[in-house]
Amino acid sequence: MVSAKARGLFGICLFFAAAVSMAADLPTFKLEMKDGVLNPARIEVPAGKKIKIEIINAGKSAAEFESVQLRKEKVLAPGAESFVVIAPLSPGEYKFFDDFHATAQGVIVAK
Amino acid sequence: MGQVLFIVWRESVEALLVVGILHAWLKNGGADARRGLPYLWGGVSVGVLGAIGLGAALLGFSELLSGDAQDYFQIVMVILAAILIVQMVFWMRKHGRTLKRDMETSLSENLQKASWWGVFALAALAIAREGSETVIFLYGLGLAQQGETAGAMILAAVLGFALAFLTFYLLQLGGKIFSWRRFFQVTEIILLFLAAGLLLTGIERLMSLDIIPTLIDPVWDSSRLLDDTTTFGNLVSTLTGYRAQPALMSLLVYAAYWVAVQLFLRRARPKAIPANRANPAK
Repeated sequence: MVSAKARGLFGICLFFAAAVSMAADLPTFKLEMKDGVLNPARIEVPAGKKIKIEIINAGKSAAEFESVQLRKEKVLAPGAESFVVIAPLSPGEYKFFDDFHATAQGVIVAK
Repeated sequence: MGQVLFIVWRESVEALLVVGILHAWLKNGGADARRGLPYLWGGVSVGVLGAIGLGAALLGFSELLSGDAQDYFQIVMVILAAILIVQMVFWMRKHGRTLKRDMETSLSENLQKASWWGVFALAALAIAREGSETVIFLYGLGLAQQGETAGAMILAAVLGFALAFLTFYLLQLGGKIFSWRRFFQVTEIILLFLAAGLLLTGIERLMSLDIIPTLIDPVWDSSRLLDDTTTFGNLVSTLTGYRAQPALMSLLVYAAYWVAVQLFLRRARPKAIPANRANPAK
């Protein structure tokens, strides 16, 4: 069993890691994943800037935000909220999808 | 339902490939190799517990583990797994069928213990990593389904696992049918490619977190030849490290990996003991 002190320390470290990630003032976009439905399925973002996408799994089944081009993969339990920070993108279209629901396909358009 | 079956199989197949190959090596490597089997099964058990634990943690502490923390954790896991795989291949090359002879020197006995723990760690890691995603997926399924469809979903999940075990079984069969040399050569390459894929996944996560630069991105776009977003393409990409739109950094790491592996493994050739040095006491 890990001691209470170690667990506390671990928790604090994670908290700081999360806090530091959230501290930056980034253009933020919201994405809702709900049992295979992406809302919005098309997200327009500024090119050349770091961006943050806040993802909510509003469905009853687990979802996985994944984009091969953006090299992002994140599992979200039902009801979970998370975010991904994406490095500055060159103008173009970047596909993303819900790995657990084949029909859920979306695109991030950087302009 | 087909979706559930496929996802369960897909998530399990990578882990079962690693465990299956290790199992075939240990079972067919001679009486002394079989001593490693309890470590393998121990690793599998710990891996299953770890997968459930990880899944529960991600479900319960999703706020704490949100954002980049999950990414860092996964990066460590995949790179560690890649290193352990190469280590295992190296060790098996060196000791493979000569375990009995090596056992006669006490030095080897300590090496063996460490290597058995390597088997344990690799099995645990492989199962925990892929298993945690499956746990979360199944948990979500369980919540969403009620009534008759629940039965269909459970059946689909069971079939998915069964398919994965088929992969495991085929590997064991291969270990018995083919000559040790041939089997080891082929499975060695399978594992090395898998490790390359894992390494690239870790590198790509680091790039996505802006910790290492991409250099040129992408160097080419071969998605018309093989699109890695399709199911088959994704499988190939996991098993070989293929990327349809690779970053220059990925290509460099991939090339460096194979060079390093070749150099490293060259030193693992089992040495034949020269006849005139067999009895130094003389």
